[in-house]
Amino acid sequence: MNTPMNTHTRTNTRLRDSEFTFMFQLIAYSVIIILSIMCLLPFLLILSGSFSSNESIVRDGYHLFPTDFSLEGYKMVFTFPTKVLKAYGVTVFTTVVGTTLGLFLITMAGFVLQRKDFKYRNTFSFFIYFTTLFGGGLVPWYIMLANYFNLMDTYTVLIFPGLMTPFLIILMKNFIRSAVPDELIESAKIDGANDFRIYFSIVLKLAMPGIATVGLFLALGYWNDWFTSSLFINNPDMYQLQFYLYNTMNTITFIDQMAIGTGITLSQDVPTESTKMAMAIVVTGPILFLYPFVQRYFVKGLTIGAVKG
Amino acid sequence: MRNKTIRHLSLVLALMLFAGVLAACNNGSGGSTQGSEQGGASESKGEKVTLQFYMLGDAPKDLPVIESEINKLAEADLNVNVKFNYTSWTDWDQKYKLLLSSGQPIDLIFTADWTFYQSYAKKGAFLPLDEMLPTAAPALKAHVPEDMWNAVKINDKIYTVPSTWIEYVTEGIAYREDLREKYNLPKPESLETLEAYLEGIKANEPNMIPIADSNANHTHGIRQLTSKLVNTAGQLPYGLDIMYDSPSTVSSYWGSAQHLEDLKTYKRWMDKGFFPKNVLNVKDTSNSLLQNGKAAVVLSGENPNKFNADVIKVQSTHPDWKLAYFPYPNAKGFAQPVHPIHNGFAIPRSSKNPEKALAFYEKLVTDKRYNWLTEYGVEGKNFEVDNGYYKMVGDAQTNGFPREGMNGWAWRNPEFMLYDKTFDDVLTMFEDLDKIKKPDIFTGFAEDWTPYQAEKAALEQVEKQYLYPLNVGLVADVEAGLNTFMEKAKQAGLEKIQAEYTKQWQEYLKSAGIQ
Repeated sequence: MNTPMNTHTRTNTRLRDSEFTFMFQLIAYSVIIILSIMCLLPFLLILSGSFSSNESIVRDGYHLFPTDFSLEGYKMVFTFPTKVLKAYGVTVFTTVVGTTLGLFLITMAGFVLQRKDFKYRNTFSFFIYFTTLFGGGLVPWYIMLANYFNLMDTYTVLIFPGLMTPFLIILMKNFIRSAVPDELIESAKIDGANDFRIYFSIVLKLAMPGIATVGLFLALGYWNDWFTSSLFINNPDMYQLQFYLYNTMNTITFIDQMAIGTGITLSQDVPTESTKMAMAIVVTGPILFLYPFVQRYFVKGLTIGAVKG
Repeated sequence: MRNKTIRHLSLVLALMLFAGVLAACNNGSGGSTQGSEQGGASESKGEKVTLQFYMLGDAPKDLPVIESEINKLAEADLNVNVKFNYTSWTDWDQKYKLLLSSGQPIDLIFTADWTFYQSYAKKGAFLPLDEMLPTAAPALKAHVPEDMWNAVKINDKIYTVPSTWIEYVTEGIAYREDLREKYNLPKPESLETLEAYLEGIKANEPNMIPIADSNANHTHGIRQLTSKLVNTAGQLPYGLDIMYDSPSTVSSYWGSAQHLEDLKTYKRWMDKGFFPKNVLNVKDTSNSLLQNGKAAVVLSGENPNKFNADVIKVQSTHPDWKLAYFPYPNAKGFAQPVHPIHNGFAIPRSSKNPEKALAFYEKLVTDKRYNWLTEYGVEGKNFEVDNGYYKMVGDAQTNGFPREGMNGWAWRNPEFMLYDKTFDDVLTMFEDLDKIKKPDIFTGFAEDWTPYQAEKAALEQVEKQYLYPLNVGLVADVEAGLNTFMEKAKQAGLEKIQAEYTKQWQEYLKSAGIQ
């Protein structure tokens, strides 16, 4: 509207502004609420499924509230508590060690790559970036880890491949570039700090939001990892939790689809629907509790990256 | 000064931590790399080697116990140790491929028709055993009959040691007999009687789903019921038809008048409510639906063994129900026992100790101590022999090694086999099928899909998108739907695939001397 504004219309617009704000908030809140409910409902279904008896699930399907309350699912999960606990232990171990180590390596790499006085930073950056475009594929990767590094059935193989992700290195580089001004580094140098001193006392402290963000990415990656277990771990005591769960599910699918032509009968017991649901709850539990505590850094980290480019 | 020390210390610590993780617990890998490099030293025991043994599926809980027991025996007899590895069922096919293509040292691996033994053998993934057998495993060579050795030959070479236990994995209709009696319905033994039975179920038990099969699997069963297909289970790939009595004639079932008629039948069934509306998205296994009384009939995948498992399950949970079984071979007029390729063990090319591996496998099959340990576990701890029957100690929850817990299908030995008492019914079924036995002429065929790999993938997509809905009667105009499917399939390269497959099949018939 290109009409000239007078005082009269201005009050009107102000009124309309507040109305508009109110309307906007109303719409925004209802959209968010609906979306949240959509996210919550499946989880509720799983929760109620885990507290239902298996018979009732197969017979009448899932309900938001258990029609036939029972704890048999959880009983089943904890009949072999050692297996579940072992898998838990492995996952917690790989997550903690992998995230800590990964953060060290990624922040160091990011710090070095953004230093203007590092001559080959573009070459190195290109090499890292190049791998995101052209991967060797699954078979070479497998051969590398299995035959050349001899990492079958080790804890190393669960941690090592996920330590440095090109994407996270590039993210970290940009974080550090925006959070640590070059002048600061120069003045620290003049004051006699060496590179490690600068890294430990300045960079790590200033890049904290970024570290929290990348750390969460890493931790989630390790927590949800099942593929590495699937390929490189033969010893059931070393399965990661997610793979332990996923594998149980897959056994059922296998029996259903493959056993048709193969005539295979498997001797182990197939977990029931309610057991599957109980397992899902047991697996996601800890991360659910952890998330709210980390989330605040997460948001901060993302905005810092956004505002300062 | 002190700051400097601390800084250095922390740096050193960080480096040590990193190195420590890299070198952490390097156990259990590369066991067979220390193997003796000298081939043909099968006479002397040589130095001790560790064999890498690979099997599909999940390891039983007590595997470490069994492994140490076996190693005690194997060390005394052959001076070898064995490491049993299990791939788990997650992406097992991808892992199988990696194991065979990555060149990591593996000494023994499971083979079957459904793990594509024929094409892997053709591609040279396994070592030929012909020359090794008489020297390294004479007892094993004698144990397996000559015709079985011949049956597993690919390009005139033996690449796998077949299992000698003869079983049937033919399918049949599993249905609720008690409901049939209650409502006085016909026995489902043909397409007409099956439909009448399903109608009766629908009318009298409105809360039940008549047909339990998900993913349009029922079509496999129906094809077995109404035609004399050359294969024992399911349908032939790429919509082809090859009948047992005239194997050299290959025709296309897809797009034929018969196909249209069948699809119209499925449409009628859907309209009558024999399938649930969301049949393509059902995730429950057909067996669990039958066992829990949610469905009345299972049409595909029910082989004698599986049906027996259903019966046992239902007896324990609903003793008042009754299940009955109609084997498709009775409709076909003949039954084919599994082909020797169906269960076997091969030695991959990457093996460092092929002779030792073969000698060990001989022990596994022909030595009762090894065989019972790996099939049934430790006697007294995992199982007992009761009147010649196998009896589990405790139950599936407490027992760390159920019957055949190591998935030892390939090294079953009929002389030593122990059956559970409940298995008697299956053996009776096998005896009935034995009466109409005919040799399997299909499984020896090794399909090589390299010439049409891309078309094959494209066709699978088309099948999912256009044929599945037809199979469960979700398309209003069947004829138009079939035409659309055929058109899309031809675009995906159906004709090329069918022609190539036919050519390979004819060549196989010629070389195998089948008319």
